[in-house]
Amino acid sequence: MKKKLAVAEDLAEMIPSEGHEEEEDEVPVKAKRSKPGEAGGEEEVYHPVKLSRSDLYRPPTAEELNQLKEAESLFHCSLLKMQMEELLKEVALSERRKQQIDAFIQTVTKLLQTVPDSPEVEVSDPSWLSSAVKVPFLLVPKTTKGKFHMAPPASVDLIGSYPLGTCTKPCVTVDLAVTIPADVLHPKDVLNQRYPRKRALYLAGLAQHLASSSDIGSMRYACLHGNRLRPVLLLTPPGKDSSSFTLRVHACPPPGFFKPSRFHPQRNNIRTEWYSELQPSQCEGSGPPTPHYNSSVLGDLLPRAHLQFLSAVSSQCSAFADGVALLKVWLRQRELDQGTGCFNGFLASMLLAYLLTTHRISNSMTAYQLLRNSLNFLASADLTVNGISLARDPDSTAPSLPEFHDAFQVVFVDPSGHLNMCADMTACTYKQLQHEASVSMQFWDNPTVDGFHSLLMTPKPMIRTSDHVFQLCELVKLQSSCKKMNLLSELMDHSGDYVHTALPFILSLLQRGLGQRIHLLTHSLSPDPEWSVESEAPKHKAQPPLSFGLLLSPELAASVLERGPAADNPTAAEFRQLWGSRSELRRFQDGSITEAVLWDGESMCQKRLVPRQIITHLLQLHADIPESCMRYVGSMVDDVIKTGREVPSTGEEGSLLVVQSYDDLSRKLWRLEGLPLSITAVQGAHPALRYTQVFPPVPLKLDYSFFDREKASRSLVPQEGKPCPAYITPITVICHMEGSGKWPHDRFAIRHIRTAFHIRLGELLKKHHNYTCRPCPTHLDVWKDGLVFRIQVAYHREPQVLRESVNAEGLLVVRDNEEAQALEMATMHKPLLTSTLHGLQQQHQCFGGVCRLAKRWLGSQLFSEDITEDTADLLVASLFLQPAPFTPPGSPQVGLLRFLHLLSSFDWRNNPLVVNLNNQLAATDYTEIKNDFMASRESLPVLFVATPKDKNQSLWTKRAPSVQMLQRVVMVAAESLKLLEQQLMDREQIQDVRVVMRPPLDAYDVLIHLNPKQVPLLSQAVDPPTVTFSRGLMAGSVAHSGGALPVIDYDPVSLYLAELRDAFGDLALFFCDPHGGTVIAVLWKPKAFIPMPFKTSQMSARRVAVTGEEANTIPNVEAILEDFRVMGKGLIKSVEARTEKWSF
Amino acid sequence: MAPSKKKHASSQPRIIPGGFTELSLRFSSDSVSEHKLYLKEHKVRAEKSSHRPLDRTLFVLNMPPYCSEGVVKEMFSQFGCVRSVELRDHPGSSKESGPKLSRFFKPADKQGFKVGYIVFQNPSSVSAAKSHPHDAPLVVCTEQRQVRTGAQKWIQQYTESFSHPEKLQQIVDSFMEGYDKRKEEEADRQKEEAEQQQEDEEGWVKVTRGPKGTKGRPHSEAANKRTLQKEMRKKKRKELLNFYTWQHRNTQKEHIADLRKKFEEDKQRIALLRAQRQFRPY
Repeated sequence: MKKKLAVAEDLAEMIPSEGHEEEEDEVPVKAKRSKPGEAGGEEEVYHPVKLSRSDLYRPPTAEELNQLKEAESLFHCSLLKMQMEELLKEVALSERRKQQIDAFIQTVTKLLQTVPDSPEVEVSDPSWLSSAVKVPFLLVPKTTKGKFHMAPPASVDLIGSYPLGTCTKPCVTVDLAVTIPADVLHPKDVLNQRYPRKRALYLAGLAQHLASSSDIGSMRYACLHGNRLRPVLLLTPPGKDSSSFTLRVHACPPPGFFKPSRFHPQRNNIRTEWYSELQPSQCEGSGPPTPHYNSSVLGDLLPRAHLQFLSAVSSQCSAFADGVALLKVWLRQRELDQGTGCFNGFLASMLLAYLLTTHRISNSMTAYQLLRNSLNFLASADLTVNGISLARDPDSTAPSLPEFHDAFQVVFVDPSGHLNMCADMTACTYKQLQHEASVSMQFWDNPTVDGFHSLLMTPKPMIRTSDHVFQLCELVKLQSSCKKMNLLSELMDHSGDYVHTALPFILSLLQRGLGQRIHLLTHSLSPDPEWSVESEAPKHKAQPPLSFGLLLSPELAASVLERGPAADNPTAAEFRQLWGSRSELRRFQDGSITEAVLWDGESMCQKRLVPRQIITHLLQLHADIPESCMRYVGSMVDDVIKTGREVPSTGEEGSLLVVQSYDDLSRKLWRLEGLPLSITAVQGAHPALRYTQVFPPVPLKLDYSFFDREKASRSLVPQEGKPCPAYITPITVICHMEGSGKWPHDRFAIRHIRTAFHIRLGELLKKHHNYTCRPCPTHLDVWKDGLVFRIQVAYHREPQVLRESVNAEGLLVVRDNEEAQALEMATMHKPLLTSTLHGLQQQHQCFGGVCRLAKRWLGSQLFSEDITEDTADLLVASLFLQPAPFTPPGSPQVGLLRFLHLLSSFDWRNNPLVVNLNNQLAATDYTEIKNDFMASRESLPVLFVATPKDKNQSLWTKRAPSVQMLQRVVMVAAESLKLLEQQLMDREQIQDVRVVMRPPLDAYDVLIHLNPKQVPLLSQAVDPPTVTFSRGLMAGSVAHSGGALPVIDYDPVSLYLAELRDAFGDLALFFCDPHGGTVIAVLWKPKAFIPMPFKTSQMSARRVAVTGEEANTIPNVEAILEDFRVMGKGLIKSVEARTEKWSF
Repeated sequence: MAPSKKKHASSQPRIIPGGFTELSLRFSSDSVSEHKLYLKEHKVRAEKSSHRPLDRTLFVLNMPPYCSEGVVKEMFSQFGCVRSVELRDHPGSSKESGPKLSRFFKPADKQGFKVGYIVFQNPSSVSAAKSHPHDAPLVVCTEQRQVRTGAQKWIQQYTESFSHPEKLQQIVDSFMEGYDKRKEEEADRQKEEAEQQQEDEEGWVKVTRGPKGTKGRPHSEAANKRTLQKEMRKKKRKELLNFYTWQHRNTQKEHIADLRKKFEEDKQRIALLRAQRQFRPY
């Protein structure tokens, strides 16, 4: 390695001599690209590596050879290995931190050993405590027998991750076990919560003693994994280190104080008489088993044994600590490592230990392999059915695995053979873990995915992972559902924690009801409660709402029919019991008569909410939870793209209508006879034809009296003084004509021939189908079914002709130019993209919905000029084609969230975004794209999107966005994401998701307010307008053909914007929401206002200021503002110049 | 223009360094602010075009977008009879030649600020314009001359964009006729040239400059490249790979060098990422 370092240094010295030029070139670019204040992360620039020949070809050492080989064979590339090493460095504790921790532990240990003795009192009498310290226990029922006194601990030991070396940042917690002296306890204390209460009292005693010391920063109580029977004391160091780590003090019985056989999952240790405070009943028997209570007491008995076991294992495997650390990071990103019933770091270590002791992984493996193997194990093993045990030879009193399975949902038995370490985990949580592991394994093997990022760096909060999410808000209601579901003995087992008593039953109920509709049901793990030592323990209802996530299965989730068994089938009763009154007998077309439930829903957006109806119904029926307690966040955001009066729709139905009409037109075009050349292809090239138009065109019926008429053709023309007529989108259709020798080889001639085709097509369509047509040199508009299709005839060699020219020597040269590119874009790339994305929509139902939402957001934030429709569709497509670490979005809302996350978190500067349409790119293509990208980064678009047809140019993002705009997009996306997730998850917020669609206007220099009367798309605005204008429409059914040609593609706002950009594009940027925005925001370009020397070519809208002999020019701002008014006469309401913001 | 004449005596034309005269322009008489036009006689060293005669052409900078050629003509006729007006996006020599296109086939103009070339009947008008006082603004939109902007203009544009299919067909036909004629002439010319290169009766060939050979199509760059590539491929095919021991050794060496290079690249990438603190999982 040393040799290599030396080489690297040599290189560093070598490069400056030849790289000097480059650096100088860089400087102006950088100055141009980064705004003065935000040059932060942009400093580093990637240079292609230059290695001299002698370095590359020097004979390798054995060690180097090994390393290179290992990197090649174990990882996709050495990059992943290095990335993991770097990650481990980031999460490991620093030496300085460890010293701090050690010092603090010493102080605390010393303090603890000086706890004074106190006289013996009754357990239920806490009067010996000062009022400043409360007992961290919910005393239900109030009294219990037994004596208690304070005494110095028998021993104070470190347990858990810190001594094991698997402790990681952040949230560093160090566990300290304080052994309660044997004389405080009694062997019979396991009964009736006597031991847990004594334990809590002991902790309170410790807290009271520590409170007087100045060496402790703050002191709080918490519960271990949310278990109210196991309170712990959290200590932080004083001073500024207080947030750097926490010391968690556990109180434990002396080892072996209780016999483990007493905690068999089938034994009862809480007497019903005591718990329900009844008179002792006559009937014999010890009552229902209390497995959860047993395991929580047993858990206190074993931590030291576990530590010993784990240290023994880890001492044999050198990468053990690193493997656990990686696994912990993986779990943490998936929100599985904290809360009640979590899969925490301790379980992760135990899992690795299990794999090591069963020889599924070997001691010599690296951390990377440990992680991979443990995920592989998790993905394949189902601990809800086949539990695993670490016990080598359990003693005869230890319960068997089936006995564990009877009592718990997930089984993972510790080395002693008595304790189920996953006692609190629900089957759903384990399924989630299993799902996550298998998803991870899938994309890990995929060389086209950035495995490291997806695996360990991307957080997966529930709102962004699950397609639908709902919350149970008033948890008190679960008390009654426990009663309704008859869970009294379970409630006793959970010591009154009704939330976690009811949870597994609610989950299994939902699982049954939703059945095939969902892939996965997940729930949030309630966070460990924490409270100060001066206050009482919080009640069970005090925890935040429980969230549930649904991962929908796209084919079945939206079905309105739940078909049950035949009426005479014995399972029919079960079906009826589940669905109650909603179940009815129905006769189906195939003749069968079965039980069935029919849910409401006409349009797609209503059908998507069928799971909501099911959940509400089931919870109400079986668990007595009213609808008011439930907050369903499946489609809150969809409102902004909702249209339709009677049946609300988010555009799926509208798009389908357009596509059907287009298919009909295309068929008719194919069948036309009498054209000089035949048609070779008819292709759609409009977002509406791939289901991604934000507001798909709606068939319209026109009120002729609203319009003027054009003289010659009697076509409709907007009337002055009336509101602007409704906007009719022309839907572009490309019609390729057969190639033939008859096509001329000249650009103007081709243009004229195309016109002739347009005229001819128009004539034929009019003659055969009576469609009103309007031929133009560039296109042919066809008025059909209340929609307008814009047919463009294309000749495949035309771009080539545009590129060719003959130079002076008579040599035919081919030079690329913008005209040819634009034509190619319109006639080749756009139709191709449209058909490809149309195919994607067929695979993923909600692709269109996500596109519509994403584009609505971009539009409302005034970014639609920078991230164009096609770019946005491609970005959304990448969410579906490469969802890692998620699964493809199953609802528009989660898609929008991921779109925002992609925009804000993708490293646009250093990475190309590869959209693997139709799966045409192989792994080698990816590396090729990446290398090409790296080699010429500076000259490529800032937002680089590669597709199979366009590997190294990024056609779609060539023109826009600019660096500054991308920066702003990233910033606004991050802010919107944060805000939106808060809105969705936090019930306390004012419920208005439209907040993220209202752009901040204070950043702009001039605001041009438009007259709503002249904004044709006003009704699409984010905040629906209060006034509506008549726009020349009539209700009623739409004629399929004939009629006068309507006003097509007439939008004063976009005409005005085009004029403004033409005239003042060098001086300012203009922004507007294309969907009914009534304000145009103007931002001056800072560079335009620097005085420039007089130049005849740069005089637009400028005036000269003469100083001495020099003539400098500056923009003539007053005249420009006046021009804004003049050019937008009739459209604008006012021009608001915010002069106070201007800095020139 | 009555008020402006009154002030005429008191105010002087303003001339800025560079020899341009400043002229104010208002959209309408009740406008508050004004644009500044800069004008000068048209002067170029090498232009012999007849439609911009040097002595009678006025060169105007910064013409606002709402001034069409007609409006400019009327506005400047106060200085003398205007022959023609040409508005362009950038200063420069006149239009490229090409077949005459009807308005429907012309690419859309940019609606920005323009540069104008105004040709007067008399050379004296140029100096009259140049000596116009700067505080007597020209007015674009007056009672007599209504200039449409905004919604009115867009509706007008929309209405004018209609063309009758038959008329359009006529335009197409006449253009194609012209095109065919040009094509024919071209073919004739080439034939003639080809004939010239044939041996005459006595066996002499006339050698001329210009495209050689009888090929109708000119040489193309792409064809040249193709031949070169073909040669290269031919050469490559003849080589044997991994045949001799030294070749095998070389391949192995290349492989290691490749791995090394990748390693270095990765290392650099990591260094870059580390510098950007991208390894913090949360």
